[in-house]
Amino acid sequence: MISVRLTVNGRAVERDVPPRRSLAEFLREDLGLTGTHVGCEHGVCGACTVLVGGRSARSCLLFAAQLEDATVTTIEGLTPAAGLSALQSAFRDCHALQCGFCTPGMIVAAHELLAENPAPSREEIRAAIAGNLCMCTGYVSIVRAIEQAAAARRGGSLP
Amino acid sequence: MKPAPFAYVRARSLDEALGCLVADPEAKILAGGQSLVPMMNMRLARPSTLVDLNAVAELSGVDAAADGGLAIGALTRHTDLVTSPLVRERAPLLATAAAHIGHRAIRNRGTLGGSLAHADPAAELPAAVLALGATLVAAGPGGRRRIAADDFFLGLFATALAADEILVAVETPPHRDAAWGFAEVARRAGDFAIAGAAVAAIPGDVGRSARVRLVAFGVDDRPIRLTAAEIHLGDPALTPDAAAAAGAAAAGCCHPAADVHASAEYRRHLVSVLTEQVVREAAGRRAARREGESRWSQSP
Amino acid sequence: MTTWVGAPVPRKEDARLTTGRGRYLDDIARSGLLHAAMLRSPHAHARIVSIDVSEAERLPGVLGVLSGAEAAAASQPIRPLIPTPTPLRDWCLAVDRVRFAGEPVAAVAAVDRATAEDAVERIQVAYEPLAPVVDPEAAIEPGAPLLYPELGTNVLWHDVLSYGDVDGAFTRADGVLRERFEIQRYASTPLETFGCIAEHDAGTDTYTFWTNDQRPGFTLAILAESLGVPQSRLRLVCPDIGGAFGNKRRPAYLLTCALLARKTGRPVKYLEDRIENLTALMHACNGVMDVELAYRNDGTVLAFRIRDIADEGKNLVSPTQHNLIKLGNIANGYRIGAIRYEPYSVLTTKCPSGANRGIGKPFMCFAIERTMALLARRLGLDPAELRLRNYVQPAEMPYTTPTGSQYDSGDYPATLRRALERFDYRGRRAEQARARKEGRLLGIGLATSVEPAGTNLASYELITGRRAASGSAEAAMVRIEPDGQVRAALGNPATGQGYETVVAQIVADELGLAPDEVHVARGFDSLGTPSLYLSGSYSNKFSVTDVGAVVGAARKVRDKALRIAAHRLEAAPADLELIDGEARVRGVPGRGLTLREIARTAYADVLGLPPGEDPGLESRHFHSNPLAAPVDERRRVRSQLVFSNAAHCCLVEVERRTGQVRILAYLVVHDCGRELNPGIVEGMVHGSTVHGIGAALLEEFRYDEGGNLLTSTFMDYLKPTALDVPDIDVDHLETPSPFTPLGAKGVGEGGSIPGPAAVANAVEDALAAFVIRSLPITPERVWSWLNLAGETGARRTR
Repeated sequence: MISVRLTVNGRAVERDVPPRRSLAEFLREDLGLTGTHVGCEHGVCGACTVLVGGRSARSCLLFAAQLEDATVTTIEGLTPAAGLSALQSAFRDCHALQCGFCTPGMIVAAHELLAENPAPSREEIRAAIAGNLCMCTGYVSIVRAIEQAAAARRGGSLP
Repeated sequence: MKPAPFAYVRARSLDEALGCLVADPEAKILAGGQSLVPMMNMRLARPSTLVDLNAVAELSGVDAAADGGLAIGALTRHTDLVTSPLVRERAPLLATAAAHIGHRAIRNRGTLGGSLAHADPAAELPAAVLALGATLVAAGPGGRRRIAADDFFLGLFATALAADEILVAVETPPHRDAAWGFAEVARRAGDFAIAGAAVAAIPGDVGRSARVRLVAFGVDDRPIRLTAAEIHLGDPALTPDAAAAAGAAAAGCCHPAADVHASAEYRRHLVSVLTEQVVREAAGRRAARREGESRWSQSP
Repeated sequence: MTTWVGAPVPRKEDARLTTGRGRYLDDIARSGLLHAAMLRSPHAHARIVSIDVSEAERLPGVLGVLSGAEAAAASQPIRPLIPTPTPLRDWCLAVDRVRFAGEPVAAVAAVDRATAEDAVERIQVAYEPLAPVVDPEAAIEPGAPLLYPELGTNVLWHDVLSYGDVDGAFTRADGVLRERFEIQRYASTPLETFGCIAEHDAGTDTYTFWTNDQRPGFTLAILAESLGVPQSRLRLVCPDIGGAFGNKRRPAYLLTCALLARKTGRPVKYLEDRIENLTALMHACNGVMDVELAYRNDGTVLAFRIRDIADEGKNLVSPTQHNLIKLGNIANGYRIGAIRYEPYSVLTTKCPSGANRGIGKPFMCFAIERTMALLARRLGLDPAELRLRNYVQPAEMPYTTPTGSQYDSGDYPATLRRALERFDYRGRRAEQARARKEGRLLGIGLATSVEPAGTNLASYELITGRRAASGSAEAAMVRIEPDGQVRAALGNPATGQGYETVVAQIVADELGLAPDEVHVARGFDSLGTPSLYLSGSYSNKFSVTDVGAVVGAARKVRDKALRIAAHRLEAAPADLELIDGEARVRGVPGRGLTLREIARTAYADVLGLPPGEDPGLESRHFHSNPLAAPVDERRRVRSQLVFSNAAHCCLVEVERRTGQVRILAYLVVHDCGRELNPGIVEGMVHGSTVHGIGAALLEEFRYDEGGNLLTSTFMDYLKPTALDVPDIDVDHLETPSPFTPLGAKGVGEGGSIPGPAAVANAVEDALAAFVIRSLPITPERVWSWLNLAGETGARRTR
């Protein structure tokens, strides 16, 4: 077992973990944060995307033991205490999800984009979420939702 | 899809990491893990010990070298290669190549050193450092040694690194005013290349012609110099006409394999197309710069 | 009265799903839960000589190991949906013989998945390899290796179905166009893989299953039979399901977990990893189709002769469906006098073929729409004009095709005309011509389609000669609780379609409420959800079948509430209306009774009920779509019941040097009747269209000659990303079906059916000198076609 101390969604966490426990398993099973989903376990689908130090990462390709002193943010950490964030509201308003399995990872990726680029073009949005597979929506409404959330966060509305 | 059991060491220093490699010949270095961990999850890689370098601070960062080149720590993430102003100024080929890797979350974790040491023949960064003529710095029990990129890639996933060595830095040569080009064809954006090409044409000293280094990847067991094509590309000859000649010569330089995504024949064809394309790109950059310079000199 | 049906109501599900509060299978915790892993065959075809599990059993953390022989001793074979001519016994694990690479041979239950995988590596199996049979045409040949020697053949079904004067039509024809098409294996690959938890309560000998199985009614019947347990002692629960598209079913895995649970006395979970999902769950059926089309020189299509070889892999659950289902769209939207269809359903040593968004119909549409494109080329007609000359006309609705499908409604010519106008078809043709002069290869592809919905299982009688199941039916429940709050449930577990929202919209309209005031149960629980053998998410049936169950249940409850209110208010039920949660006497303000007060009477003050009225305020309704009918004496059948339609227009550019294809524009104009929730409908159209685009350009399960799958990860099996697909433009007509309760028609499969044909037609149009006979259209294949075109000098200009 490896001892690891880190911050998850603003809270200090200390646990002993087996070396082969992935960050995704750690979040889901040790911490009960089941909003992070596991879709492929080889780093392609993006369902397990979380923020590590503010940057998106595949939690299936990190071992929990590596996260000493790290700051991890999951979909639970991007959800306000009451109601929905601008991105979450936009996803609902735009019907940007169907089965919802990709949605947490997709919102994490979109969050990273908007943190760096408050007014992304459609092409920039598509590039930012290209590492997150959605099997349901064909991405059209997801792109719309991120555009709408960006506009809402800028305090304006779409033209 | 869970890895086989392994021991984990969080190295706090390079020496500690090197010690682990000596202690366990089956140990593997963990840097970004974006290639290694999928292979471990599929149990295609089964290291007995995983030596995590991520806490070794001295291996990160981009430094400007006095000669106008760069010294880049092996743990530098692809995202930082893409966004670093220093890299974009002094090794734009490297920044562009890094931008072609995977997707954002992969680039956030994947490292320069990890990509080079892994030596996937279809990967972008090995091709870029080869085109740049970079120098790779390896640390081992006996100290450090510097390995020219030309001598580093030995074959399929094989490099000049000894089992007890760790790649610690990459030094890129002075690159100011260099013309360069980079292109690849992949099934989807972010996939490993079916084939790719990179070129760097570095102006020579006064009275000497440029050094042109032309590289293809995804078309042999390692990134390869297209030497038979390079001979068409002297400094004054970095022209669209020369590009076509280089493209035609390029196909004969590689020994592509067939896989599920493409045949050898198609890969060879793509090498020609992409070689011509990157040389044109480089020529275009050079022309644009010269035009800019002449305008600058004419302005009052 | 407010009408919620038809409004783009935001989904009730989304507050939980956007915040990570969904509850999927892998999120369910059970005390003492064990995790299973499976040992899978490395051979496509082999005899199992021996299995030694002792070393696996000795590994610390392992609580139980199950071999095929043990499973066969402890359970009965799995009942097929469609029985084969000779009964073939198929257990949950391979016994004696493996028939595809990836077939489960043994299973381990351990304290965690990693330990279970460690144990799987310690199971020793001796195989005696047998010759694989990978190609379905080779599998038909005499002397081919047989998957089931007792069957004497690999062909599960071969027949010749002839409708109308086929030979006469071919004799009268001005010409005959002959072509051969192939389709590859691909799959919708829901992002959540398939799995289950099984728990055995030894005290009561009852089993509980949590699973993302999309067809719980059928699965419950199999579990009961195979476990030898009455269905009354089984409970099956579906939580949130992370996509399904037909793929999410494998009763064998539930049985394996149940046997392990019984053996270990602990609940056991098995969840596929992605390689297992891609290797062994379900592939859309690949196949080969020979098409002959008889035509007149004015473009009139007279008849089709079609020979269709469907590669079932090792599919014993639903073989033959990939042929049979094509009877639903074999005529597509065209007036065709005569059709001959010769199906072959063939076993091979590959992953089982199975339901995948449209089942067989994408290939049928591909063959017909590719043939139409080629006919237009041959006759020098514009492909749009050729279609307009052959469409079933709106005045002919309902129209019966030669095979017995009844097209209920729709305006096919108007759909295409709307598409041509919105796509600026003429403008784009001019753009294409200009681009060609500049050396750029642009292509425009059209494909139009019918989208059948609701399967009538009676059609299987064509194969088996007897009727085991029939019709298209579903069950629903609506209950006004004692506090006046409303709850509803549906026998079809949602897999992403937003049923909680749509059912709430429907019930809200019936009861005079808002959707927020109707709680719809998530998923499925056989203890509380009304259900049938036919219950589940399949066959595009929600709009044409499930809606009837919901409407029926809501109306029964509404009528009863009004009877109670009328009695209490001393009014006639006909004089009452339900508005804003209250039964009001029309025209008499202030005279009314709230649902809460009505419920109090129904549940608590039962002496206040009208004479003869039972207590309670709950109703269950089982709806059977009235269009379902048995096979007739001419072997015609309504295999599917209600038909939407669509026109797809695709503009591509082909990069001449590399063969890369880029979709520059994509338009869908569709008509699914009344749109219950336009926001959800648009999402279905986008999503299904991208499934079609993926099949056209990227996705392929490729096998080598030894029957090994070469594309078993998401690195090699290529799904479209956000950068691979265009902004799909969607427009719609709305021709309600006269045969569904709210006029709605199917919309779940629409885009996946014509999508592959639209893209292929566009690429072929760009190349202008080559016939695309198969998918996916990879850059290398385009490049090789360009080379061929260059060599033959056959370049045509339009």
